[in-house]
Amino acid sequence: MSVGRAGLDQAGVDVVVVGGGIAGASAAANLAMNGLSVVMLEKQESYTDIVRGEWIAPWGLREAQLLGVEDAFGVGGSWEIREWTQWDETVAPDEAETVDMTRFVPGVGGPMSFPHHTVCELMAEQAEDNGATVVMGVQRAHVTKGVNPVVRYQKDGVAHELRPRMVIGATGRGCTIGRQIGVSMATSVHHWGGGVRVSGIDDWPMDVQAMGTEGDKMFMVFPQGEGMARLYINFPTTNKNRYRGPDGTARFIADFELDCLPDRGKSVYAAATAIGPLKVWPSVAMFPEQSIVTDGVVLVGDEAGNADTVLGTGLSCSLRDTRSVCEVLTGGDDWSPAAFESYLAERDFRMKRLHFGADIIAKLHCEFGPAAAERRRRARALMAENFAASVTGLLNMVPPEDVPDFGFSEFFAERLFRETV
Amino acid sequence: MTTKDSLLTDTAHVNGVDIAYVDKGTGDPVVLLHGFPDSHYLWRHQIDPLVEAGFRVIAPDLRGFGGSSKPQEVEAYDMRTIVNDVVGLTQHLGIARAHIVGHDWGAAIAWMYAFLMPRRVDHLAVLSVGHPGVFSTPSIEQRAASWYMLFYQFPGVSEQLLRRNGWRLFKEIMGGEGDHQRYPRELAKPGALTAALNWYRANRSPAAELRVESNFPPVLAPTLGVWSTGDKALLEEGMTGSAKFVKGPWRYERVEDASHWIPLDQPEQVTKLLLGFLGTERAVLPTRRRRL
Repeated sequence: MSVGRAGLDQAGVDVVVVGGGIAGASAAANLAMNGLSVVMLEKQESYTDIVRGEWIAPWGLREAQLLGVEDAFGVGGSWEIREWTQWDETVAPDEAETVDMTRFVPGVGGPMSFPHHTVCELMAEQAEDNGATVVMGVQRAHVTKGVNPVVRYQKDGVAHELRPRMVIGATGRGCTIGRQIGVSMATSVHHWGGGVRVSGIDDWPMDVQAMGTEGDKMFMVFPQGEGMARLYINFPTTNKNRYRGPDGTARFIADFELDCLPDRGKSVYAAATAIGPLKVWPSVAMFPEQSIVTDGVVLVGDEAGNADTVLGTGLSCSLRDTRSVCEVLTGGDDWSPAAFESYLAERDFRMKRLHFGADIIAKLHCEFGPAAAERRRRARALMAENFAASVTGLLNMVPPEDVPDFGFSEFFAERLFRETV
Repeated sequence: MTTKDSLLTDTAHVNGVDIAYVDKGTGDPVVLLHGFPDSHYLWRHQIDPLVEAGFRVIAPDLRGFGGSSKPQEVEAYDMRTIVNDVVGLTQHLGIARAHIVGHDWGAAIAWMYAFLMPRRVDHLAVLSVGHPGVFSTPSIEQRAASWYMLFYQFPGVSEQLLRRNGWRLFKEIMGGEGDHQRYPRELAKPGALTAALNWYRANRSPAAELRVESNFPPVLAPTLGVWSTGDKALLEEGMTGSAKFVKGPWRYERVEDASHWIPLDQPEQVTKLLLGFLGTERAVLPTRRRRL
């Protein structure tokens, strides 16, 4: 599994992928499938739950199909979620509306929730089965950009060096490779988020996901089948230490006792048992300040810049990135920065829309207090009156380019929030 | 992935296919036959205790499953062909006569093996699935039971339909029973799903249903039938009704608190039942009709 000392002068490596998450592992699997010589480097010794994205939009699953990695989701414990019920403190539990999510993208069905680490593991195995070298437990990966890029890393205290034709940087929000090649990020934090994977919620309808706001938290329940689910809570930055301490997980689960859920959320708070760690994080939006493509290196996934996690499109974005980049690498011999122009243009367009949408969702659902609740009540009324007002929610279903243009106008945002009349 | 879930010791080329199998221990041979969509791994809790009790355990991956060949054509999965795989494997291992134990489709194979090859069978133990004669005249209740529905669904269900939406239909059909998290992983391997479905296509196609086979030779071996109260798919009468097809000594055991996957849900009890049965009874010897 590991590249030995021979790796120092290992000739003929086409691509080194740094980072074995959804973006990196899907790239490694696709490139290996297409006959390229691939080495994938992953920091973890083995894949475990480190609380990463576990919800993927139908349009992201379409990307997985195009990449040929959809079975990693299906057999890695994915569960198709069919309905989305919009419980919220501004609506009575039995009056909350339900949206059928299975019909937005032909040939795909609803979004999926899944244990992130098992899906990554299966993609890495798929890459290996197709001839890629997967190195786990990699430390101090370092990339030197250039027409002939160099990748150095340590494994078990031994230094290794690779000289591939191309490096894919996919280290996530840490932006390790990006910083090494001189890409800095402008960031903004709107709120904080936390998540834990649970089992035992047998009375929660496994077809139904929940997203809503009550008091000072925005909650999400994403079923994973068999009484399991990923729970998330978004909360104000001022309260970022709320789940600190040894009983943080218990308090997190107890926070699902909510007036706006049927039976006050009893099927969650009284039944859930954590089956993984609780993690909290600042929900950062990141905007690259330099090009994410340079000689010998291309960035994908969160490492290339990402929208606020509240939107839930991070994984879908990662797979779209991977597909675009893999198409260049498997489509011809020109791997120069110029060959990635369409990737850059498409990503730029896509991220503008996702940032715009995420800002609306964050403002609507992740701001708290009476004024914010009143704003949600008004927005809901507007959506009930005219379905077109829920256009932003389409970003969770169809690719950004398929969402009608009016959803990205300042006029629409102002209208939605009734800031001007 | 496979390596983690495998106890396989060897592979043999018999009856035109490669059959991977476990061969462990010395003593009277016991052949363990798994069903759908399992492999030898179904018997992981029974293999060692049987070996320790002085048996030689042979647990193959039947064709189409696990580490064995997966022909893609439906005709390759005729029951008689699969029975011949077991004959070929035991011959290859120099075994003339063995205890035969089967679960689910493996039980169906075991029944057929027992009445087609009476001299090769010592004791017969069948779990979950009763004698095929009972099924040729299914009751209304049995028709309504879900496994029976599956019997009719799987031949027509496409690979694409089972795989779509993250194997959602497959997961719904299997529920949270057996090795439900492992099955899709196994079936996602190249050719595996088609091979597994071919078991149904070859043996439960509408055409096969029209052929009513009723003249089954009697089973002469001492026979143990086991059925579990948590089996959502098969009715108790399928097993108890099998008694009339058995001429040898017949025992019936009902297992509580177990789904269809009895060897996984009540591993110790299954081991105990097998140890208390295999080699304890005397067979009715097959009589050869004298030529006049």
